[in-house]
Amino acid sequence: MQLKPANPQLRRGLMAASCALLGGTAAQAQTAAGEDQSWQVDAGLLYYKENAGRLRTIEPVVSLKKDFGDQRVLDGTFVLDTLSGATPNGAIPSRKPQTFASPSSTSLTPRAGAKTTLYTIAPGNLPQDPHFHEQRAAGDLDWSQPIGIDNTLSFGGHLSTEHDFNSAAVNAAVSHDLNAKNTTLSAGFNEEYDQIHARGGDPIPATDYTLLERERAQTKNVAGALLGVTQVMSRNWIAQLNYAYDRSQGYLTDPYRILSVVDGSGSVTGYRYESRPDTRVRQSLYWDNKVALGPTVLDVSYRRGKDDWSVTSDTVDVHLRIDVGRDMYLEPHVRWYRQSAADFYHLYAIQEVPLPTYMSADPRLAAFTATTIGFKFGVKLAHTGELSLRLEEYQQKPADRSSPLSQLQGLDLNPGVKAAIVQIAWRQDF
Amino acid sequence: MQRATAAPGDAQSYPATDVRIEQRDGGIVAACFFAMASPCELLVETPDVEKARALGRIVESEARRIEAKFSRYRGDSVVSAINRGAGTVIQVDAETAALIDYAAHCHELSDGLFDVTSGVLRRAWKFDGSDRVPAQSEIDALLALVGFNRIEWRTPHITLKPGMEIDFGGIGKEYAVDRALALVEAESDCALLVNFGGDLRANRPPVAGPWRVAIERPDTNREARMLLEVTQGGLATSGDTHRYLVRDGVRYGHILDPRSGWPVRDAPRSVTVAAGSCTEAGMFCTFAMLNGADAEKLLERAGVPFWCLR
Repeated sequence: MQLKPANPQLRRGLMAASCALLGGTAAQAQTAAGEDQSWQVDAGLLYYKENAGRLRTIEPVVSLKKDFGDQRVLDGTFVLDTLSGATPNGAIPSRKPQTFASPSSTSLTPRAGAKTTLYTIAPGNLPQDPHFHEQRAAGDLDWSQPIGIDNTLSFGGHLSTEHDFNSAAVNAAVSHDLNAKNTTLSAGFNEEYDQIHARGGDPIPATDYTLLERERAQTKNVAGALLGVTQVMSRNWIAQLNYAYDRSQGYLTDPYRILSVVDGSGSVTGYRYESRPDTRVRQSLYWDNKVALGPTVLDVSYRRGKDDWSVTSDTVDVHLRIDVGRDMYLEPHVRWYRQSAADFYHLYAIQEVPLPTYMSADPRLAAFTATTIGFKFGVKLAHTGELSLRLEEYQQKPADRSSPLSQLQGLDLNPGVKAAIVQIAWRQDF
Repeated sequence: MQRATAAPGDAQSYPATDVRIEQRDGGIVAACFFAMASPCELLVETPDVEKARALGRIVESEARRIEAKFSRYRGDSVVSAINRGAGTVIQVDAETAALIDYAAHCHELSDGLFDVTSGVLRRAWKFDGSDRVPAQSEIDALLALVGFNRIEWRTPHITLKPGMEIDFGGIGKEYAVDRALALVEAESDCALLVNFGGDLRANRPPVAGPWRVAIERPDTNREARMLLEVTQGGLATSGDTHRYLVRDGVRYGHILDPRSGWPVRDAPRSVTVAAGSCTEAGMFCTFAMLNGADAEKLLERAGVPFWCLR
């Protein structure tokens, strides 16, 4: 080696290499302690609750991972969730009481041989269907294995079913390591097929709500592709860049959402089923950085999304993992999100104007900003287990929530959402 | 080669699979055994002899595990499997991969001087105190089998060219010291020192003051020892007491330069280095020896505490 004037680089380099060796094998030795730890079980319970008696979810998740050696891994996840609570139907508050029928109704007026479940909303309140209740069962199975020396192949499938929605998907990806594993290139695709059979039938988009014009089960499919590169930038920094493209086609309309139709003064004159284009092309760029600052790990990511419905979005997500003593860690989390509205999003439709082909009052297509703030606290159990608790608060603030029309002045037309998230998770190797 | 005086005597007095307990001054219990061709010991500051024995067994079994896994002298070791498989792709486990990565880093940091493939040169050089210097043609033939860059290494797959060999001889014992200390440290709150034939590491000093370690000088004719005080961290020594040859008045030490195939000229007789871990200290010793006449200069510029004997 050359004797450069002062050589603390040598000392730093050797110290770093030794730490990598000893640190790495300390973790390795833990797993070697019990040779038969081939199953990893993750079990979690997620509780999500929106404010004002709205949506509530309880979601138990069980995931099993089996390592068959030689980096061949089988991973299966099973989710069972229950959603209940009141969900906004898309109509705006009004100065007068408004009456709606739950989607399972076959008639808006009670009569023999027809099913009618009505709910009435008090003046000034946001119309929400109080009868919402849904159960969903979903499962994933994924397999991953090396091919040759520097490549990994993974493929998997997904199935989910609920009362009014079935979904099946397949995915496959290959990754290739370069540059002594410092660079990983990956490419993948996925294909999803969905069936929508809303209670009482799928509404014909943009038709008058009172006519209850519905059709038989509709379908949609989503085809997507992903290209990514992961790069080790330095000893303590890993960066990842992903580009994703997907195209949805079919019945993209939400069968349970309607739109208020108002006259020039803002008085509600009727309702329409919402209507969306039957294709949507989405693209996103995702940049993630994991930086080790001693034992503390900082994870910062940025995502830019764009679609041909004019929705563009930005997400900044920051996690910091701090070790507390030997067996505990704390992970503060902040996420900031903003999106622009879809070009056919309206709080309501104006009666005088010939109604547009596409229209929706779905708050998820509105312009809004959202923040998530919270933390996760984890405790190591025995040698190979972990128990963690996550507490987060989500707040969505719509950009557009009022109208200049006289009958609508003073009404909050899109109050946004505030939600609490509690998650308990347990992981154990067997 | 070198030995801490605190370490026990010769190998024959120890059953191969048990530790012997000795009470030392200052409330220190020593658990002694023989492994890796060296007297080994764990020093524990505790009044509880049985606890020290239990910890000693952990250290002993870790030493034997690493010796069995990485010794090139054992046909069933991972290293032997890699060397036997030269010419084919061999998949290694995570621990072996970490050691190979470490060897790769050290190769790079030393500009190619430290090389785990240089062991084949020993087929030509016998350091037995004689004057037998091999023919240049013999050395040249072996040099074709030396060079970390000739290895294909992509975690977890290693491919040696036919005839090549790797050897963790310059890493294994120091690594075992660090690993063993980490294992007993996880089981105990005591002050601990693991010493494998003079390569050692301590977690912290005993209440009575620093650990006192005697490093034997590599001179067989004198009972000259260097007494060092260690509070915590690693200490390693490299020397060539018995392994050298003399030809035409030139003393050739056993450290071979993988680039020329010849012993490094003017290497110190002994180098002792203190660093954060035993592994790191040991590698500094090796780097220093490989730099021959410039050994002290290298260590000075690296800024590590060291003791050189010429």
